[in-house]
Amino acid sequence: MEQKKEVMIGNYAIARGLIEAGIDLAAAYPGTPSSEILPGIIEFNRMEKGITYAEWSVNERCALEVAIGAALIGKKAACMMKQVGLNVAFPPLPSFDELKIKGGLVLVVCDDPGPQSSQTEQDTRLISVLMDIACFEPSSPDEAADIAYYAMNYSYEHKLPVIVRSTHRVSHARQAVSIYPKGKRMVELKEGVLNKTNGNFEGSKLGIISSGMTYSTTLDVLKEMGLENIIPVFKVTSIMKGKISGDKNKGIVEFVDKVKHVLILEETDAVLELLIGKNRKVLGRNTGHVPSAGELTYNVIRDILGDVSESLKITKKKFLFDYEIEDAIKDIPLVQRPPKLCAGCPHRATFYAMKKAFPEALFPGDIGCYTLGTSLGAVDTCIDMGGGINVASGFYDAFNQDGVLIPIIATIGDSTFFHAGITPLYDAAKKNKRFILIIMDNGTTAMTGMQPTPQTGITAQGKSNKPILIEDLVKSMGIDFLKVVDPYDVPLMTDTIKDAYNFLSTERERVAPAVIIARRECVLSARGKEKPKYEEIPLEKTCIGCRTCIDYFGCPAINFDDDKNQVIIDDGLCTKCGVCLFVCPMI
Amino acid sequence: MNKTKKLFEPAPETMEIICAGIGGRGVLLASTLLIECAVDAGLSAIASDEYGMSQRGGSVVSHVKIGNAKSPVVGRENAHVLLALEESEFYRNLTFIRRGGLAIINSKSTSIFESVDKVLKKRDVTHFLLDGDKIAKEKGIIQASNMAIMGFFSAFAIGPYNRDALMDTIKKKVKKSLVLKNIEVFEEGFLKAVSLIKNF
Repeated sequence: MEQKKEVMIGNYAIARGLIEAGIDLAAAYPGTPSSEILPGIIEFNRMEKGITYAEWSVNERCALEVAIGAALIGKKAACMMKQVGLNVAFPPLPSFDELKIKGGLVLVVCDDPGPQSSQTEQDTRLISVLMDIACFEPSSPDEAADIAYYAMNYSYEHKLPVIVRSTHRVSHARQAVSIYPKGKRMVELKEGVLNKTNGNFEGSKLGIISSGMTYSTTLDVLKEMGLENIIPVFKVTSIMKGKISGDKNKGIVEFVDKVKHVLILEETDAVLELLIGKNRKVLGRNTGHVPSAGELTYNVIRDILGDVSESLKITKKKFLFDYEIEDAIKDIPLVQRPPKLCAGCPHRATFYAMKKAFPEALFPGDIGCYTLGTSLGAVDTCIDMGGGINVASGFYDAFNQDGVLIPIIATIGDSTFFHAGITPLYDAAKKNKRFILIIMDNGTTAMTGMQPTPQTGITAQGKSNKPILIEDLVKSMGIDFLKVVDPYDVPLMTDTIKDAYNFLSTERERVAPAVIIARRECVLSARGKEKPKYEEIPLEKTCIGCRTCIDYFGCPAINFDDDKNQVIIDDGLCTKCGVCLFVCPMI
Repeated sequence: MNKTKKLFEPAPETMEIICAGIGGRGVLLASTLLIECAVDAGLSAIASDEYGMSQRGGSVVSHVKIGNAKSPVVGRENAHVLLALEESEFYRNLTFIRRGGLAIINSKSTSIFESVDKVLKKRDVTHFLLDGDKIAKEKGIIQASNMAIMGFFSAFAIGPYNRDALMDTIKKKVKKSLVLKNIEVFEEGFLKAVSLIKNF
């Protein structure tokens, strides 16, 4: 019978592997590039008519500890997060070696070399080495299903928690992945030298050690250079007990011993370099042969291999850029497309009102779509999830110490508030910190793909449950200024922010911070649900070319036509929310 | 057509394609069709998409490799085909196209910048402009300009990507209620290519 295959992204492949390994429980907090694994688990579980329980946890630590609980009882449990999510889940990690799990525990962490969608790069393999947790790393979506399956079985068999480490290029690559019935997948870890150099690398001028997608890209680059059967590449798939390839560690020792030079290509820290240890043969990050940060893209690897193989006289065919292409495009005016809040996004309206009420305020921000408020000048800091509220507290103290009160307006999204904002707000309220907190409640976790929040009243598996309202939480802290406002009503929002500051400056005995919940559904999830507020947006008719809306509002549906010296509305994007009508000085 | 076809004959062992455009405007669907179509034809294929922040209206690039490739990432000057769903994204991704490659650009313009035209000629790159937005708008489904580009591309019948095969993939992968409209736009793109190629 022909092997059944289905095209899917790496994250779904991980989900497939876990479901085939028979997981009982999966818990996760969404975060790019890991967000699609839990939905994948739910989908495959439904297809297989399984009874796997899956949940979106409020944050990564909850997810990991829920999984630990299940594994202690004897279940097969998995949890998923992005690399900086692992920081939130950190507290139980140092105790991992003392965990007496009776079941299986797989921690899937997706790293973000670049970073493309995170505040920092971070290498989960480093944590795994520090904490002595076995770590498995796939190099393609197809292998990701195998690795996830293998990792769960390994954990269950050895009663040890393990890590599966992916990166965005694996998690978000799309490939035909083999599918098996539950428990029928046969996996043998692919590690060691696999390219056709016949294991005969004795005296090879250069050997490469690599892992993950970097390994796959390296093979493609070698092929382009005609070196795929000349330079042996050692694939690293597992790190166990601080050793590369665990029990087969001898293989890598022999490899390093036999080749004349070793080039290490890995993302993103020098972890394999660290494990191989000081050796004059080794070329990598520490010797400056590999850039110290950033994604190892095809171009970067081709550059490195070109330089190294040229200097070792392996090839003269170094790839050279055709700079005539750059010359040809250098004078072309390209439309710049930085990421922007969507047309009709309620966050834009809130940010605009904040700037309008107090243009000179301090604006501690947070992590989510609304980090893009930087482009409206309404987000000054973006440190980590929930950090904005604490930073606002610190800002307040810094000025208060000198007897000064200034407007400080912090923002946090609804999902981030549940994730990491509740404790900081409680702390701020206990100490009566006099700043304004705007909780931007769009009813979803929009940035990562519309996962429900505890306030949605819907679970990951689509069942309904009792919502927990943000205002109830805020009230329970004794906070005396709490308003819920529709941000589309810009004048009301602006006035409410001014009222809040007035409260902070005059009613000093009452409990601060002042909290405003800016509540309106995310424009993406609201699409098609209700009729637009306006039938047409008369912005073009009244336009005198003052550019106020372009410079201070920045809606992607409003473009400026330099020839006509006026704005043009992009009908394909405009949601007819009409917020720009509050911005236009001519209306 | 003959000239273009010859560029990729015999079909390369690995064919590399870049789909470029704006977040939320059909890049992901285009690359999904390309990989599914290749897999249906019995080829191995791998693609890489961008998620997260870049989906918010920013520039989006999808890489597709079919045939003998381990990684989905396309290198500079390696892409056989660039499908640009928007004009600025064509210029932005110009460095991907290999010598002798093909570019299809969704644009209202009837010509590209002279400097670029010159360098493309020098690099033996064939390019076509197609007003996919206009076609999609006429068919009453403005978001489907990507289908016009796909239809146009299918006329060259490179590797597995002929008209019938891509249509089958559209029927399989596009939301049922939108299939007919998408096919109409695709067909129009295909016909535009056929008439253009006649005078080529």
